[in-house]
Amino acid sequence: MARYIGYRLLHAALVLWGAYTLSFLLLQVLPGDAVLVRFQDPELGLSPQQIADIRQAYGADDGVLVQYWHALLNILHGRLGQSLGMGVPVVALLKITVPLTLRLAFCSIVLAVLLMLVGSYTALLCPPHTRLGKLVRSMPPAVHSFPIFWLSILVIQIVSFKLRLVSIIDVSDWGQVMLPALTLGCYLSAALIRVMVASQDRVYAQPLYQILQARGLSLLRIWGRHLLPNAIAPVITQTGMLFGELLAGAIVTETVFGLNGLGRLAGQAVSNQDVAVMQSIIILTATVFVVVTFVVDLVLLRLEPRAREAFKIRKTP
Amino acid sequence: MFKSRLFLYWFAAQVGGLVLSGLACAKSVEQRVVTYLDSQAHTSLYPPAAGFYPNGMIMAQITDRLTWQDPQTLEIKPWIAERWEISPDKTRYIFYLRPGVTFSDGSALDAAAVARNYDTFGKGNKLLHLPPAEVFSNYDHSKVLTPYSVAFYFSAPSPGFLQGTSVLGAGLVSAKTLAHRFEELGTGQNIIGSGPFVVQNDIPGKEITLRKRPDYAWGPPNLGPASAAQLAGIHVIVIPEDSIRIGALLSGQADFIRDITPQDEAEIVRQHYCMYAPSTGGVSNSIAFHPENKFVQDERVRRALLLGTNRAEIVSQLFSPSYPLAKSILVAPAKGFQDYSDLMPFDPAKANALLAEAGWQMGSGGWRQKDGQSLTLTMHEAPQHPQSHEMLILLATQWRKLGVELRVISGSPGMTILDNLNANRTAMADVEVGRADLDVLSEELMAKHRNVLLQTGGQSRYAKTYTDSFLNTKLEALVSTPDETARQTIARTIQEHILEHALMIPVFEEPQVYVGTPALKNVLFEAVGRPYFYKAYFASQQGGR
Repeated sequence: MARYIGYRLLHAALVLWGAYTLSFLLLQVLPGDAVLVRFQDPELGLSPQQIADIRQAYGADDGVLVQYWHALLNILHGRLGQSLGMGVPVVALLKITVPLTLRLAFCSIVLAVLLMLVGSYTALLCPPHTRLGKLVRSMPPAVHSFPIFWLSILVIQIVSFKLRLVSIIDVSDWGQVMLPALTLGCYLSAALIRVMVASQDRVYAQPLYQILQARGLSLLRIWGRHLLPNAIAPVITQTGMLFGELLAGAIVTETVFGLNGLGRLAGQAVSNQDVAVMQSIIILTATVFVVVTFVVDLVLLRLEPRAREAFKIRKTP
Repeated sequence: MFKSRLFLYWFAAQVGGLVLSGLACAKSVEQRVVTYLDSQAHTSLYPPAAGFYPNGMIMAQITDRLTWQDPQTLEIKPWIAERWEISPDKTRYIFYLRPGVTFSDGSALDAAAVARNYDTFGKGNKLLHLPPAEVFSNYDHSKVLTPYSVAFYFSAPSPGFLQGTSVLGAGLVSAKTLAHRFEELGTGQNIIGSGPFVVQNDIPGKEITLRKRPDYAWGPPNLGPASAAQLAGIHVIVIPEDSIRIGALLSGQADFIRDITPQDEAEIVRQHYCMYAPSTGGVSNSIAFHPENKFVQDERVRRALLLGTNRAEIVSQLFSPSYPLAKSILVAPAKGFQDYSDLMPFDPAKANALLAEAGWQMGSGGWRQKDGQSLTLTMHEAPQHPQSHEMLILLATQWRKLGVELRVISGSPGMTILDNLNANRTAMADVEVGRADLDVLSEELMAKHRNVLLQTGGQSRYAKTYTDSFLNTKLEALVSTPDETARQTIARTIQEHILEHALMIPVFEEPQVYVGTPALKNVLFEAVGRPYFYKAYFASQQGGR
């Protein structure tokens, strides 16, 4: 086991370094840089000499390798630097955006999983070959094909503006994520239900379940005790990926709902070419993905005897 | 049926309002906080960076200036400076300050503080990365004469300086603020001004809360007796999505919003909300040619494009009455304005003739060609200006009829800035500058400033040949002629020159559009269209609802 964890840690370090370097190179390829975007903006109307002085002060014209080395050293020392675009330390930005993104991701994923369970049981009640069953199975792809942008605006218009049930302006920390989580939760559950139903239809076709039914077990019991554990593995992988993506920020939902989460911060950082912010977000996101996949693997190991077998085989050389 | 439903909505809104106000009864009704929605978050609040709308709105509330510019008459009136003396050659200005003014950190706003501000704005501070302000041309040094009088010296006549002391970019801040580095000035709490409001809390990218300063007693004398603000504060929240800002206002969740698309204006007026469209007071939103570009080098081509542009169609199709058709380079309320509409009529027949005369013959598919080359022009859209994308697309369809192809690109901010400096890549740009003084012309056109025509001697490494010596002589004269009447004559000459040589196509006069709830009264606007809540108040107990 220790060897396995060591291997995973090494793997994680490589992923982080790769993501960091790749993003650095990609930002270098973009025309211009953060200093240019901030100070050469016509709004400031600075003269060429003034701009040259500023570029020198920021070391903006140093070689790519020198800049990369400085940036890497800083990040290894935990110095995240300052956002040039917004004039705030990156740490302060992360302190604001990360808790919000965590709250949003947590609420959305909980709702999505609950809806997934409801969807799964409903699908079980309506066998795939019936007309109703076909209808039920076509719902998740339909919902998932709505643009999330449009769905968000619709929810706000109805719930907040027409019915005036909740305000979307100036609400508490948890209150402000309720509507967006509702929207995201519904949207993501569609993806989960699709995977779940496909998997459970396949599993349920096995003779075991006819035997269970013949023995007089209730459908709820069959679903809860026998079908879910056998069919849920792909959904867990999928949930892990979605959760990781949510933690990286839901840029569209955040923009529509006026939330300043990681997604919107990342969007602004890219358009301002704010390297310090962008790199911090990438490191954070890559870490989250590494951790989430690790946790998902551990859960699957517990849940799936087959995976445990595979793990054992790999352990003995 | 329709009416009764409307009534039902109204009734529901009233009940909802009562419930909400009942819930919120702990708050003082009379001194409410204004909820203000902006589409963008503020950036660094270093005063000279106040040109960016979200920054300017905040700076207008938290800082005072030496002088106050009347937005209607554009005259300069006393504020922190009670009076001033200007040397006849406009190289020395002495300001006599009103005593007793303090910054919100308790430090005095005296001659030494003003000198420190102006030295920083005039020359910048390399150590702290603070860039100089573009409005202070030829600034040399300051001298504290007495605790409440200060003199500024200029290396050359600087007639625009007096107006420069009234702009948001010259907002006075405490010594503590100026000791921060540029990168630290994005945190609202670091900006200590002497204005009627103080930054209470700032969540970067999300919201900033201003609360009133109870001991404020030095507002612009022309706005009536000095007093503290009548609002408890202003809560600025960033909501990027247009429809959500409007919906929030119409459903009573917000009191005041910025950035309204022209299409939404009719609905807002229909619902009896107050729409404000103050002018940004400088030059018209224009298409500026880069005459070094090989396609628009020829004046006949530029003139053809000017005559082939149906400006009236652009304004009527894409904009609302808040956006007047441009009549010159300067906007109508500006000093030195003159109606030059006769220099830019819509005349497609003449445009076609001019293009043919310049050697561009109609080729296959209805595109103009010369020496096997098509007349294809490229430019970037300018997302900071309203409807820029739509305007350029409509322009492209208009020019299509002349056989001219216009390619509109939307790139990253960095790419846009670089391409707009390179006449080989872009033939023109969509430009506008807001400043209520004739110096706006020099800020827009001088090579060392924004240099919209891309003359040599500016930021552009690619500008090799194009320079307009007549224009430059006039611009130099404009910024250094002490006499106001003479300056206005020069400004007219400059505008005539630009239009006669078809260097720019003025399209519309750019306002900044805001909407407020009818209960919010007496919102003022300063000369470049930023709101000023110093004297604003809520009329009824229901507030905005």
